[in-house]
Amino acid sequence: MSKSSFARYGGWLMVLILLVLLQPLSDSVNYERLIYGLVRPMPATRLVEKDFTVVPGVIAGAILGGFREIAAAMIWMKSTELWNKGHGTELKYLSMVRTTTLLDPHWLEPWRIAGWHLAYNMYVEADKIPDPELRAKRKAQYMQMGVDCLKEGISWNPDHYDLYFELGWTYFDKVRNYDEASKWLSHTLQFEHPEYIERIIAHAYERKPEMQKALDWYDYCIKRNPADGTAYGATLTIHERYLTAWRLMEEGKYDEAIEEANCYLAVAPNNILPLHLKAHIYEQAGELEKAYKWWSVAGKTALNAHARERAARLARQLGKEVPPEPADIMRQEQMAVPERKF
Amino acid sequence: MLRPIYYVAKATFHEAWRRRFLNGILVFAILMIGSSRVLMYMQPGAELRMLVDIGLGSIRFFGLLIAVFMGARLISDEIEKRTIHTILAKPVSRGQFLIGKFIGGVTTVWSNIAIMGVAFYGLVRLTAPRVAAAAEGESWVYSLDLMYGRVLGSIGLIFLELFVVTALAVTFSTIFSWILATISTFFIYFVGQMSEFIHQLADPERGATPVAAIVLGTIYRILPHFEIFDMREAILDPARPLPWEHPAKVVIQTCTYVVVVILIGYLFFNEREV
Repeated sequence: MSKSSFARYGGWLMVLILLVLLQPLSDSVNYERLIYGLVRPMPATRLVEKDFTVVPGVIAGAILGGFREIAAAMIWMKSTELWNKGHGTELKYLSMVRTTTLLDPHWLEPWRIAGWHLAYNMYVEADKIPDPELRAKRKAQYMQMGVDCLKEGISWNPDHYDLYFELGWTYFDKVRNYDEASKWLSHTLQFEHPEYIERIIAHAYERKPEMQKALDWYDYCIKRNPADGTAYGATLTIHERYLTAWRLMEEGKYDEAIEEANCYLAVAPNNILPLHLKAHIYEQAGELEKAYKWWSVAGKTALNAHARERAARLARQLGKEVPPEPADIMRQEQMAVPERKF
Repeated sequence: MLRPIYYVAKATFHEAWRRRFLNGILVFAILMIGSSRVLMYMQPGAELRMLVDIGLGSIRFFGLLIAVFMGARLISDEIEKRTIHTILAKPVSRGQFLIGKFIGGVTTVWSNIAIMGVAFYGLVRLTAPRVAAAAEGESWVYSLDLMYGRVLGSIGLIFLELFVVTALAVTFSTIFSWILATISTFFIYFVGQMSEFIHQLADPERGATPVAAIVLGTIYRILPHFEIFDMREAILDPARPLPWEHPAKVVIQTCTYVVVVILIGYLFFNEREV
């Protein structure tokens, strides 16, 4: 072998050896980036999973050139334009908002809007579906997508108040799952938060009903701010109207508890709180038929998805025909598949 | 041995600074960095993140343009204009010529980055306290001292990133004409940005066939991983620790990779008829 070919082959061998030696270091660096949270959270390539047409050439160039946040802001502005033109319920709008969250997952506003848009606007949009079962199913899907979207947003922004509140509020106001609402709203308490958060948690327990826990939270509100008229009034209401029935139920005196609940129901037959209380007492007493009946009555009041979901759950237990209820479908699917991706 | 390298590097540096298009890119980059103060309001509630992103993105992008357009012409221009004969007729070996050209190119790129970095750092020092004060009481918590340090760290990583890009451009310029060298460097840069995606594609658990796993796995191992130079995710977040060992590893990895790339360039250049 001549000197020059020896140098040539030796050079390539050196290249190979250096590349091989580089690999453990490269793996270690990549691993550390993952540990220290330096990895770009959403690879631009994930965009192809979504509607790629929402990413025009200029924006794609901005993404590849390292201007990811600018690209996100540009798509966001385009989505706002679409919204203002009245195309907010089109799939393209949703894809744009979602792409914004992919490009800049630490920007909270797109997560909030996407979650709200799915759980509220798209939910209402499903009213156009004539088949009631399909309609309920689609509504459940949109609610679930809204909730999942907010949860994903929290996973990227666990140190910020906003999305915890948004998710808690969606559970409280839209899904009417008061357990989940109180859980997620409680997470907001670790941050600087407005006074009404504790009151919403108390309201959630009141509606569930969990009267003692509701009282505890109102009590906290009053101690924090003795001038908190809302908490003070709610405490008085619970004491006057529901607490006796609640205590009797806890003591196992179900008939007396029902009589107590009836006292206020006679005055306000459409008030959901005594209706919930009565249904709950029957459920605790093991009288599921009556519990089902009263949850159904409560479910006829406007926007009471919580009561309808409880009624559907009991109907399933009793072997009755289950009415299509989005909140119930959502809970069933959640039990079947605990982790879902939006 | 080092003297010829020094003279080639010095001549390359001076020649590069005389090129008008490089000066134009630098001016435009500084204008872009300055405009980030206005553009940051495109993301209400996340102005500082936007400022950092546009500023560092501009430095990376314009630095990349300088590194590629200058690096890709360093050797190929000398060959095409036949000036290389004059130089190689002197007691300068091909290796010394290549290393000198590379060092001259890198110092040019780094000096441009330094100017952009100073401009951006100054802008951050001026703007950040005001934005942070306006955000007080909101859920965002800024640690300004930490942020300043990490902005400097990020600029340091851009130096390293463009070190690799310049090495690639110079190596390609030993093989191809300057146009092909430019295209090849941009191609490797963009593919290198997505190296993690290629790694995922090579994963048999994600459905890659054995052949695809080997081919894509090899490509992933050979490609430069440009993602490692990006730490924008951590700049504003005090909750993310960054021990010094990590940047030290990145420096070692980068330097080794550059040695590999320049060695490949030398092997091609040594064989090439000029």
